[in-house]
Amino acid sequence: MRRRDFLAVAAASTLAAPRIARAADKNVLRFVPQANLSSLDAVAGTQYVVRNAAAMVWETLYGVDHTLTPQPQMCEGHEASADAKTWTFKLREGLKWHDGAPVTARDVVASLQRWMVRDTMGQVIKGRLDALEVLDDRSVRFRLNKPFPKMLFALGKSNAPMALIMPERIARTDPFQLIREYVGSGPMQFRTDEWVPGSRAVFARFDGYVPRQEAGDWLAGGKHVAFERIEWQILPDPATAGAALQNGEIDWWELPIPDLVPLLRKHREVAVDIVDPLGNLGSLRMNHLWPPFNDPRARTALLMAAAQEDYMAAVCGGDDALWQATGSFFTPGTALYTEDGGALAKGRRDYAAAKRLLAESGYNGEKIVLMVATDIPITKAEGDVTADVLGKLGMNVDYQALDWGTVGARRAKKDSPTKGGWHIFHTWHAGADCINPAPYTALDAGGDKAWFGWPKSQAVEDGITAWYDAPDLAAEKAAAVVINRASYDNVTYIPTGFFRQYQAWRKNVSGIARAPLPLFWGVQKS
Amino acid sequence: MWRYAARRVLATLPVMAVVALFVFSLLYIAPGDPAAIIAGDQASAEDIARIRISLGLDRPFAVRFGEWLWRVLHGDLGTSIFTNLSVTHMIGQRVGPSLSLMLLTLLLSVAVAVPVGVLAAARVGSWLDRLVMLAAVVGFSVPVFVIGYGLAYVFALQLDWLPVQGYVPLAQGLWPWLSRLILPTLALSGIYIALIARTTRAAMLEVLGQDYVRTARAKGLATLPVLYLHALKNASVPIVTVIGLGVALLIGGAVVTESVFAIPGIGRLVVDAILRRDYPVIQGVTLLFSLLYVLVNLGVDLLYVVLDPRIRQ
Amino acid sequence: MIRRHPGLVAGGVLLALIVLVAILAPELFTVDPTALAPARRTRPPSAAHWFGTDMLGRDIYSRVIFGARVSLAVGFAVAVLSSVLGLAVGVLAGFIRALDAVAMRAMDGLMAIPPILLAVALMALTRGSVQNVVLAITVAEVPRVARLVRGVVLSLRDLPYVEAAIAAGTRTPMLIWRHILPNTLAPLTVQATYICASAMITEAILSFIGAGTPPIVPSWGNIMAEGRALWQVKPFIVFFPAAALSLTVLAVNLLGDGLRDALDPRRP
Repeated sequence: MRRRDFLAVAAASTLAAPRIARAADKNVLRFVPQANLSSLDAVAGTQYVVRNAAAMVWETLYGVDHTLTPQPQMCEGHEASADAKTWTFKLREGLKWHDGAPVTARDVVASLQRWMVRDTMGQVIKGRLDALEVLDDRSVRFRLNKPFPKMLFALGKSNAPMALIMPERIARTDPFQLIREYVGSGPMQFRTDEWVPGSRAVFARFDGYVPRQEAGDWLAGGKHVAFERIEWQILPDPATAGAALQNGEIDWWELPIPDLVPLLRKHREVAVDIVDPLGNLGSLRMNHLWPPFNDPRARTALLMAAAQEDYMAAVCGGDDALWQATGSFFTPGTALYTEDGGALAKGRRDYAAAKRLLAESGYNGEKIVLMVATDIPITKAEGDVTADVLGKLGMNVDYQALDWGTVGARRAKKDSPTKGGWHIFHTWHAGADCINPAPYTALDAGGDKAWFGWPKSQAVEDGITAWYDAPDLAAEKAAAVVINRASYDNVTYIPTGFFRQYQAWRKNVSGIARAPLPLFWGVQKS
Repeated sequence: MWRYAARRVLATLPVMAVVALFVFSLLYIAPGDPAAIIAGDQASAEDIARIRISLGLDRPFAVRFGEWLWRVLHGDLGTSIFTNLSVTHMIGQRVGPSLSLMLLTLLLSVAVAVPVGVLAAARVGSWLDRLVMLAAVVGFSVPVFVIGYGLAYVFALQLDWLPVQGYVPLAQGLWPWLSRLILPTLALSGIYIALIARTTRAAMLEVLGQDYVRTARAKGLATLPVLYLHALKNASVPIVTVIGLGVALLIGGAVVTESVFAIPGIGRLVVDAILRRDYPVIQGVTLLFSLLYVLVNLGVDLLYVVLDPRIRQ
Repeated sequence: MIRRHPGLVAGGVLLALIVLVAILAPELFTVDPTALAPARRTRPPSAAHWFGTDMLGRDIYSRVIFGARVSLAVGFAVAVLSSVLGLAVGVLAGFIRALDAVAMRAMDGLMAIPPILLAVALMALTRGSVQNVVLAITVAEVPRVARLVRGVVLSLRDLPYVEAAIAAGTRTPMLIWRHILPNTLAPLTVQATYICASAMITEAILSFIGAGTPPIVPSWGNIMAEGRALWQVKPFIVFFPAAALSLTVLAVNLLGDGLRDALDPRRP
């Protein structure tokens, strides 16, 4: 080609090219998750963003539907003895790993053994377990020495640690170390070669996946994915994400900041809605192992000083329809919700009394290590408000700006706050996880075995046991009252308010389910 | 000429050695346990102990530095604390966007700044000259992220002419690639244009003040473009020098620009690494960008030979 | 004066005003700049909040005028510190041959690291604080000053009257005091103003990318970093600190240009 011809062609192709390469390809979904994806291990880690990614790559034996009823997913079905002590599960046919090998009962046993170490419900099962055994290539059996009627829910629940089934070689990873290989049997496979941490993560449709016949419903039923590729783009700057959605460069934004919602609403091609009706519970988590918050008086002082109105206004961008103050550890509007014992959590804040209580606890000016994940607007807002509250109480704040991945890992350290440990961090719990004690890891107060912060309260533990043994709803409610009172007495953690969140997507995207996690099956793009 | 070139090349070796020594010893100058810094905020006591052994803190500093340098020379910049991927690999994934941004900025800046500087010098004292000088001071004073957001607001959001964010490799088409780089390039060019335009003007004034040019101008040849081209060639050494030195500004600016426009480049990598205290990544990127800077300025030194024959001696 | 050096005067007056505001900040502020009031968040400018309020309801006007203290303090401290250190290194290198080669190679190496990256690398080693930011930026600026000073010293050493002084047995400290320092002062002052300007920008950039002062310190970079999520809908949050920073840096740069023209006798 002569040089002049080449230039002419180049010029023509430039002109002919679309003005902007939009996210127009209907086989590709571009999604902006709530945070950076740093790992895919939803057994060893409990971050929502990790769980959301893992739920595409791996599956569970059972899966909850939108009524939170567990339905068979990887299983054909199960057989349970009448006393709920023996549980036999049979895998459905045609299950394959992304590398082509068949899913076997050995994989299931190894996976469940790893999961039982990390999960609260799994630990209960492990405590009652006589044997978890392989019957044949496709069948496994639990033999328990005490009944466990909530077995199916435990195996199918949507909150992490999820009972995800992984190939045996991966499942043999130490439960406290992150897995390094991402081979699953779910509808999407993870493209490790295209993973740029901090920037993007790509999931490609697994052609060997055979969906169930039933209609898809949350983690149950047929998972029909309409996209060849699902691309997660990590955009830590909400302004950038908002602009990209308006310009059609992305299709779906999981967690738009509320301040931008009015702007997005005005846009003709953007839809905004509350997708998760169960909302979220804001959480201020204190370290119960070290002074001053090893003393319940110091924790109570903070409870008395923290104003939910401030937290919620900062989190919800002043949209008062999105939030409510709560005196409960449970999700408002659900069966076990009670404000019994939560009087201190609401109403006028009494700083003078809080200061006195703090002084009684023996606080003498040591630095309070406040870990703030500044890359997530919710935790940033909560952290800033807490810094202010601590200041008002006359406490000495060491505000540490970190990213969520670091907070997520560092909160596991039990070391002294002066030696790399911590005093306070913030997070939030999906309302779906706070409906009852079973999926509610953060409620546990079993000391060393409890969730980060390691609260220890026998009264809370007794309440939780009472709930597990409750024969009917009335008894469950009575147990919830005990738990709520005991949790506020001990101040295991501080709920900073109940809030809902918006999601935003382009109007050519349809089928986004009302669910506590983003579900990619059933979604379509025109 | 070859002796000059060889001398310049050799002169960069001690500079790079000092850079390497400095980047390496940063860890040991800082208060605190180097193993804890390398291990990051998330590390357990065992992690730190393991790293302490691998750092070999019991051996002499010179030995450790030597081993580290040996690995670096073989392309091993260590492992990211956060992702457990090799730093070399992570940088490799992100070279394209950063290089595209910096090259485009370099091109645009030179293409705009040199003619503007020449014009200002030709009409020294005129309103045009004053305007250029004022614009240059403003260009120095407005931070790159302010320009960036301003541009994005007008051209991406209000006018909807260009995408707001992201990066598409050149392989996916010229326009998709270019369209995403226009705004970042404009934002990043501001300070660079100011720098080059000012230097060009000053260098041109110097040359235009010399006798032979004065004579030519007195003879009424002032408007001849040939004259200015000739003068520009004689003024080129300081201009090229400042372009080379300005690469430091360019690198610093790229770090910010990539954050503003969500470009997955090396600058973004460094910014992400800060909040995570991912020290090996910060170390690796610092080393690499310094090398780039030194090489560019070596290139500039070698260019002198072409531009100014006197330097050959 | 005004006619000969308009930039110098404009820059000087503007900077004086800003310094005055910073000094008088405790008198001029309207609301406690760190007081949170989430109920009043992201209000546009009004009589009660002249520059509006930020995402946590803090008063932007009060934060901006207190932010002037942080920016100016950082700019000034870096300028002074790097001038003093650079002067010391430059003079020593210029006079002591044995030291010259080593010191200048070290300075060359330091200069080869882009200043922002150098500051980032230093900040990542420690927790953010104003002192650490000053130190980090200073380290990056010292070599430039040292190089300038050394150049002046070398050119002076060859001047006949200095040679004569050396021949007459004038002791080195005296020589430095009588001949070298006075001649270094002019270029050093100009250089220091430029360093001040670039240090203020670097401080803002460090805060902006999360490597600067802790987010609760009201510095201009921090206000902008927090407001940038809302720049589409609440541009005023970013606008006021951005304008303040740009104006201040502009003032310092104008002053620097003016000083350079005024102090350099060769210029027309």
